[in-house]
Amino acid sequence: MSAASESARAPRLWMPSAGVTIPVATVLLTLLFGLVLIALTGVSVGDAIGAFINGAFGSGYVIAASINRSVVYTLVGLGFIVAARANLTNVGGEGQIAVGGIAATAVALYGGVKGLPLGLAFIVPALAATVAGAAWGALAGVLKVKAGTNEVISTLLLTFIGIWLVYWCVESSALLRRPMTTTATLPESLEIANPTRLPLLSGDPSVPLNIGLPVTVILVIAVWVILARSVFGWQLRAIGLNELASRRAGIPRAALVVAAMAIAGGFGGLAGAVMLQGDQYLLKAGFSSGYGFDGLVIGLLARGSAAGVVAGALLFGFLRSGGINMEMVARVPSAIVMVIQGLIVVTLAAMAFWLDRRKVTR
Amino acid sequence: MRWQLLAVFLGSTLRLAVPLMLGATGELVSEMAGVLNMSIEGMMLTAAFAGALGAWATGEPMIGLACGIIAVMPVALLQAFLSVTLRANQVVTGLGINILALGSTTLAYREIFGERSRDLIPGFPQWSPPLLGHIPVFGGAVFQQVWVVYLALALVAVTAWVVRYTAIGLVVRAAGADPRSVDKAGLSIVRVRYGVVLFAGFMSALAGTYLSIGDINTFTEGMTNGAGYLAIAAVIFGNWRVGRAFGACLLFGAATALQFQLPDMGIPLPTALLVMMPYLLAFFAVAGLVGRQTAPVALTVPYRRAA
Amino acid sequence: MSALPATARSGRETLAQAAAPMPPPVLALRGATKRFGAVLALDNVTLEIGAGEIHCLLGENGAGKSTLCNLIFGLYVPDGGEMLLAGAPYRPSGPAAALAAGIAMVHQHFSLIPTFTVVDNLLLGRERGVLRRAAYAEKLAATAAAYGLPLDPYALVGDLSVGERQRVEIVKCLVREPRLLVLDEPTAVLPPGEIESFLAVCRRVADGGCGVVLVTHKLAEVKRVADRVTVLRGGRSVATSEQPAEDIDRLVRAMIQRDLDTLDTALASSLAGMESDEPATPDAAHHPDRRIDALQIDGLTVEDHVGTVRLDALTLTVGRGEIVGLAGVEGNGQTELGAILAGLMRPTRGRVFVDGSEMTNRSPAEITALGVGVIPEDRHAVGCIAEMSVAENIYLNRIGGFARRGLIDRDRMRRQAREMMERFDVRAAGPDASFGSLSGGNQQKAVLARELTLDNLVFLLAAQPTRGLDVGAVEAIYKHIRAVCTTGAGVLLISSELDELIAVADRIVVLYRGRIMGERAAHPREREAIGAMMSGSAA
Repeated sequence: MSAASESARAPRLWMPSAGVTIPVATVLLTLLFGLVLIALTGVSVGDAIGAFINGAFGSGYVIAASINRSVVYTLVGLGFIVAARANLTNVGGEGQIAVGGIAATAVALYGGVKGLPLGLAFIVPALAATVAGAAWGALAGVLKVKAGTNEVISTLLLTFIGIWLVYWCVESSALLRRPMTTTATLPESLEIANPTRLPLLSGDPSVPLNIGLPVTVILVIAVWVILARSVFGWQLRAIGLNELASRRAGIPRAALVVAAMAIAGGFGGLAGAVMLQGDQYLLKAGFSSGYGFDGLVIGLLARGSAAGVVAGALLFGFLRSGGINMEMVARVPSAIVMVIQGLIVVTLAAMAFWLDRRKVTR
Repeated sequence: MRWQLLAVFLGSTLRLAVPLMLGATGELVSEMAGVLNMSIEGMMLTAAFAGALGAWATGEPMIGLACGIIAVMPVALLQAFLSVTLRANQVVTGLGINILALGSTTLAYREIFGERSRDLIPGFPQWSPPLLGHIPVFGGAVFQQVWVVYLALALVAVTAWVVRYTAIGLVVRAAGADPRSVDKAGLSIVRVRYGVVLFAGFMSALAGTYLSIGDINTFTEGMTNGAGYLAIAAVIFGNWRVGRAFGACLLFGAATALQFQLPDMGIPLPTALLVMMPYLLAFFAVAGLVGRQTAPVALTVPYRRAA
Repeated sequence: MSALPATARSGRETLAQAAAPMPPPVLALRGATKRFGAVLALDNVTLEIGAGEIHCLLGENGAGKSTLCNLIFGLYVPDGGEMLLAGAPYRPSGPAAALAAGIAMVHQHFSLIPTFTVVDNLLLGRERGVLRRAAYAEKLAATAAAYGLPLDPYALVGDLSVGERQRVEIVKCLVREPRLLVLDEPTAVLPPGEIESFLAVCRRVADGGCGVVLVTHKLAEVKRVADRVTVLRGGRSVATSEQPAEDIDRLVRAMIQRDLDTLDTALASSLAGMESDEPATPDAAHHPDRRIDALQIDGLTVEDHVGTVRLDALTLTVGRGEIVGLAGVEGNGQTELGAILAGLMRPTRGRVFVDGSEMTNRSPAEITALGVGVIPEDRHAVGCIAEMSVAENIYLNRIGGFARRGLIDRDRMRRQAREMMERFDVRAAGPDASFGSLSGGNQQKAVLARELTLDNLVFLLAAQPTRGLDVGAVEAIYKHIRAVCTTGAGVLLISSELDELIAVADRIVVLYRGRIMGERAAHPREREAIGAMMSGSAA
């Protein structure tokens, strides 16, 4: 994926390359397959589609919720492609969201930030979440550098550990569990106070778009610029392609690997903060609820492009909203969405042969 | 009383280690030949569901076992096709298959079992080796196990022997160490790699059906819970040697057994921490705190005949 | 050792029995053609190899010799023409078919598994079921001894020297009792002293009735041992000879389209092989300044993770303006030395100084800043990133120079890259062309462009810089290396081609098992002494 050689050739008319048409076609085909599955479960396809559209686009509230979901997905996906540039596969998004959520909750509730001015009340917990996620990712990076540990396995295991850490935090009164007033008190944290929540853009709670959206847009642009044009992005590409030659050329591979994984983790942590401070407002078991894995799929789908991440995030964001409504109203099992995701990943990976054919090999 | 606890602990360790050792041994053989299967998890889950379905529908656990194996073969074939023929990214395809398996089994489970999820599935009969089963205190707890446990132990031993002393074992190891040499010796890398992936599938199928039919006697969504990944971690921990990977599985099994053991012993660690333990242990294992690792050179590298 | 296979006696032959009976050639190629994309690697090649004959395939690098061999061995399928084995059509679908047909090949890059023992390597694909290692080991040892190639069946291949591994490869072939043995540049990995005995083994194999194809670019070997020669150039068969010893000049001209004496003396020497007794004509005078050392290595020791000593208290100096040749067969520590000088490996003990400043244990960036340039032995592993563009590779270690506020100024980089490409004659579609699409020679020139244009180049390490390159590229590299000397830098030239070193270097140092065995002037009369040291005899 050489941005340099591609931008060198001035496009004459806008012809979508194989890199765009194949992923798009794959998604469309699998969606179609999903409809077939729905029909097979005995639900009327018309009902299902109707419920889906309602759930995804039916009202301002719902659209905003979809966009909020897309914001979380985008963040995870951005982290994935940064690491992927260096040929590092970060599958730990879910765990990074989890520890990000823990950090944000802890700081928001007990960090004494409620009274801080200038928005620091919500910025500081978010930063804490980002740092926690970055540490979680950097851990895998350090292991890769020091012990050659495959980052897929280490981030996966860290994900399980992270998910259970959340569980532990909300189960234990010594940690984040809300004080047990009765035996029926649920294992979850207290709700975070208003100043620590992400402020809404419009102030109108029926369109709950929060500040996470503009921040994410800025991050998308930043990532795009950094990956395509900066020295750092170029160095990531170099170490991903050839470790030895990069080292010989003086490129600080070890530092870059850790940095890339830290950035990936940081994005995950930030995603956790957005989920906590922008939507859920409290920490409970299963907090990450699969967003990390969805984000992973989006990252894979995007094939290294920031624009691809946005497109995939929007798709999945609305898909999820629609899917939730489909389940509630039309009784379509949400597991179908997972099936569709699995098919997308597998099909795209299988197609890589055609997608990469334009690269010259000797 | 303490001895009783120990006996139960040992027995549980063995019982809980079985899916891991089956998955790990199968995956180890595959990785020796150069193919990484992240999809062990998905294959186990598929077998767990298919096996449960078969046993529940017919009332015969053996038919359930057969169903589990039959259901996994196409999945393994798909993984082999993607990894070997299409030369796709082995990690990505493996993860994709896992997502697909999770979604499909959940979907199918809801559709078919739906309301009747409380039903138990007929389990495998137990067996105990002649003398060992009669040892006081330990005999029953440790050695009275579902017969699949002993099958698993036998399979691990046989696999280790085949790898070392037969021509097939030689070719498998060569395929991962230097596939070019295998090609130039006139052997088919494609056949070898398809074969090892199918073997890994078969072993995963045994592991999965054991989980649902043999051990827990029911199916729950996502019931493998990362066992497949623990198996992969065991292979790494074992430095790609059958014996050592087996040891790693016992270790992880012990960590899982502690979940139930520590509360009984009066040590009140929070459940979350206990559940986390095998993953934590596996994490330290792959973090290289156990010495130098020598992975097969061609692991995850698809073979292309370019002279 | 085996009689002619029965299939050699064809119907045609029995008819012609009355006339002088000529058995059909073991292998015949008629009009063989092979394309790789747009490149025509073999163009209508016709040749014949008879039983019991040593047939040399002569040609410079890139002429198509290896492609031809791979075609015979079934690794490639011809795009045109046909192959006949003992008169019958021969269309191998892969190595398995070739082996089954009685054709065995020893490649330039051995196909041995370092983590296996010799027995296990040779058992691969030969037996089924339970392995009978002991029995096979005995059979191996017997065959090996019969041909004068002693080996230990239970040795781990990774522990063997390159020459010993080659022996394993040959025994691997001979155990199958082939009717055709193909050897691709086998003497490249042997010290001069062992080449004779190797050629004797070839003769013994041929005398047993097997056809032998010997691929080489060394005329001396051709003269010594060839029954017939075919010369390849640019994928075509341009000359053949039944009396190679007499036709050498004609063959050379066919091979490189020039006479030997018009070539760069170093090139001429390496082609002529064990020939020239005259010293190379002194080139543009460079006066080594021995007062200041460009490079000083002091007691360098490297032990690998199992404790094997790869470099043993190595001590060496390279003065400014001089070319020091490091002779030695591959596998005696050259790789480790190169890695240390490039900053990719840390020595267990010892120190290295560049122009007086210590460079031991420093990072590659720091080493480059001290003025060290490296042309690595393995270009693809260490010297370049094939997927990146030519421009990016030329500036691989200096991208920061094009940065403005963290972003790369690609236009400026492209412009400067174009200039570099012109200066060093790097031929490519443009600075943005993928590096991997360049020919080997142009890739090496690009690496030179990067390493030789260091502001303060004090020392250059050139490890096997001309290996596998065509004549034009080789000449360019010699030219650049000599130019570097005149600017006052010191050069350490590592090469397994002794003749190249004799012609290019000022003095030659011999590396054996990680130690410097001795030093000699780079003069042809020293060849024997140097050869002896390369095989381990003390100076």
